[in-house]
Amino acid sequence: MPVKGIRTVASARNGVGAFILQCKRLDFHYCNFWASSRGMLNFLTKDLPAFAREHPQIEIRVSPRPAKHPVIKGHYINGHEKAICVRNLEPEDIMKKTMILKEASGDKLKRTKKPVTSVNESVRGIWSPYHGDLRGV
Amino acid sequence: MAASIAAPKRPFLTLPFLLPSWTDSLSLGAKRHQSSYRRTKQRLRVKPDASFGPSQQGRDQIIYNPPSSAPSVYHTPSKFLPINDVRRAMRADTPSGPNVNELPSVHKTEAERKYHLTPADIEEIRKLRLNDPMTWSRHKLAKRFECSPIFIAMVCEASPEKKQIQKQVLEAVQSRWGPKRRMAREDRKLRREAWGRDE
Amino acid sequence: MKRLQLQRWSSSVLSPRARAGSRLHQQLYSTGLRLQSTASPLQSETSIPDDVEHVDIGDPGMMRHVRRVHKRKTQLQYPSPPVDAAIKSPKLAALHARLYLPSRLPVQTLARTLVDASADRNADFNNEALATLGHDLLTHYTSEHLLCNYPRLPLSVIFAAMYAYVGPKTLAAMTKEWGVDWATVPGGEVDPGLLQFKRIDPGTKVDEVSQLQSPRPYAAQKGWRMTVSSKIFYDDEFGDAIKGSAASNEGVTTEMASATFVRAVMGAIYLHAGRPAAKRFFEQHILSRHLNISELFNFSQPARDLARLCARENFEPPVAKIVSETGRKSRHPVFVVGVFSGQDKLGEGAGASLAEARERAALAALKGWYLYSPLNPRVPSSMEEEGAAPWKPAHVDVGEVIV
Repeated sequence: MPVKGIRTVASARNGVGAFILQCKRLDFHYCNFWASSRGMLNFLTKDLPAFAREHPQIEIRVSPRPAKHPVIKGHYINGHEKAICVRNLEPEDIMKKTMILKEASGDKLKRTKKPVTSVNESVRGIWSPYHGDLRGV
Repeated sequence: MAASIAAPKRPFLTLPFLLPSWTDSLSLGAKRHQSSYRRTKQRLRVKPDASFGPSQQGRDQIIYNPPSSAPSVYHTPSKFLPINDVRRAMRADTPSGPNVNELPSVHKTEAERKYHLTPADIEEIRKLRLNDPMTWSRHKLAKRFECSPIFIAMVCEASPEKKQIQKQVLEAVQSRWGPKRRMAREDRKLRREAWGRDE
Repeated sequence: MKRLQLQRWSSSVLSPRARAGSRLHQQLYSTGLRLQSTASPLQSETSIPDDVEHVDIGDPGMMRHVRRVHKRKTQLQYPSPPVDAAIKSPKLAALHARLYLPSRLPVQTLARTLVDASADRNADFNNEALATLGHDLLTHYTSEHLLCNYPRLPLSVIFAAMYAYVGPKTLAAMTKEWGVDWATVPGGEVDPGLLQFKRIDPGTKVDEVSQLQSPRPYAAQKGWRMTVSSKIFYDDEFGDAIKGSAASNEGVTTEMASATFVRAVMGAIYLHAGRPAAKRFFEQHILSRHLNISELFNFSQPARDLARLCARENFEPPVAKIVSETGRKSRHPVFVVGVFSGQDKLGEGAGASLAEARERAALAALKGWYLYSPLNPRVPSSMEEEGAAPWKPAHVDVGEVIV
């Protein structure tokens, strides 16, 4: 057989075709009695329904966690989870924290040094010392 | 590509620090002082390629700078394009590369194809190899009939007994190999397979 | 082009008579009467079957408890979740929104795509029929994309590229990337947003579970030579021998169940939202994946193949010439060798020895031939769009080099 095929798997590029939001579930925990949950309770009654309507792709769970500070937990497609404690925070601040969790990818935070990372090969190829016009200095 | 190394922009004698008497004491390039900095810097100031400058006639022009990289396989060679493909006509007036006849060949001598063997010769090759395989090996037959050993392998096959003997000889030789040689041979084989996958 | 009526199609595929005489068809008559329209055991909390209705308990709390217990009992009697549980599942609704599925695709059907045939044998409730349709669509769209974009690809590479785009491994990876979890054990009480299948017993050899059902004559003979072109005729889309489905009591692997799910989603979109939506879904989720086709080639003797190719196409025989080199007498020499046919350069390769560079150059030349892509290629299914330009025939090549 002159040529054989090599079996691989085409790699995903999230956002090139469809964009899959990486946050798949948000858990909101609150306590009915502790004062640190006051802002959270306000957030749950006022802002959360609108947030849930805007983001139907996120499963939202609300559950009491008595005698504990309120917490938001995000569960991600890569299997990781992130938790933010929101004790004594106002509803607006809790909304900001929720957005942080919603927009996260689930990976550990890392510094991006290049503006673009791409799997496509560059138009001019990889520089090679044996090609192109050689010119002396 | 020694030919394409351009000559220095200035005459050699106007750069006195390049003269041998200086280089003995200075060991050029290794040391750089405040006094010599400007001179070395000046040499690096090369005039940019003409295509980078402003256009001369004030009209549009195409700048062709071939990329200094290996060509991509997705760039189909013009010869491989179908006749009705537009790219064939578009590429017609691009400058062609170096003249092929001037480039050195990979092989030292090009094997000349003679096509001189007759069916009777081939019958004789087969007979010799079958009857006396120990004397008439592939290389000896090739020498006698003035063809390549590959051609001998194409027209006839060794007898099973000869193959068995050869296998035993090979095993005996390989049994004396130490781990280093064995691993080196295996690595070589793996590298050779990697060529086909272009790795 | 006359369009097929989707409604007529969908009814025939959603019912198990999709392919008459198939396994689905036989199952319909072997299993009892459980129809999708009447299957939901509890329409709501108020409509309770007779046996509970007649029990009169004064205490409302007690009544609620009895109802819950009764509901659980009715759920447990089915192998997969009831149809009306799909509306209440937040996981399912989130998955529907995450994949941007068309609103015409109801969550009930999405719930059905998540039930594998190993979890629920009843063909009215599992995803087998949808997956069959989805698999045909996926492979059809992928193969037409490959054939129109790279008309000269050798068949073995087409098989490999098909496998890379819509093979079971890729589809299983997609299931993970979509955030679909699977239930440990399937059942009626499980959340319908989870993928449900019966797992294969650990230690079972997967190849032995599914019996060979290849139409190829003498398929059971092990060491027999199989030509590549016979694979088009006898084998499946990836060049593998066609396998029968697993025995009734066996489970499936996670990879197989995930692949079936993705195919079923494709089939469901086609049935409910039509052809354009299915095409869009394919382009967004499958064609958008990255695959470098030039890395799928594995040549054994590229120089010989190139010589055959040049002879076939009436080009001058290929000649290898050194383009540049460095360090010939050093420990790490580099040679750049070009393969020329007449005055035209066909390919170029760099290597640490002349033999390697020559081989790589021949390989680059062959890839240059095989990876030819016409300008602005169109696929036949683009003619189904509204107001499509008149069809121009696609480039058809004579075929790969045969040595």
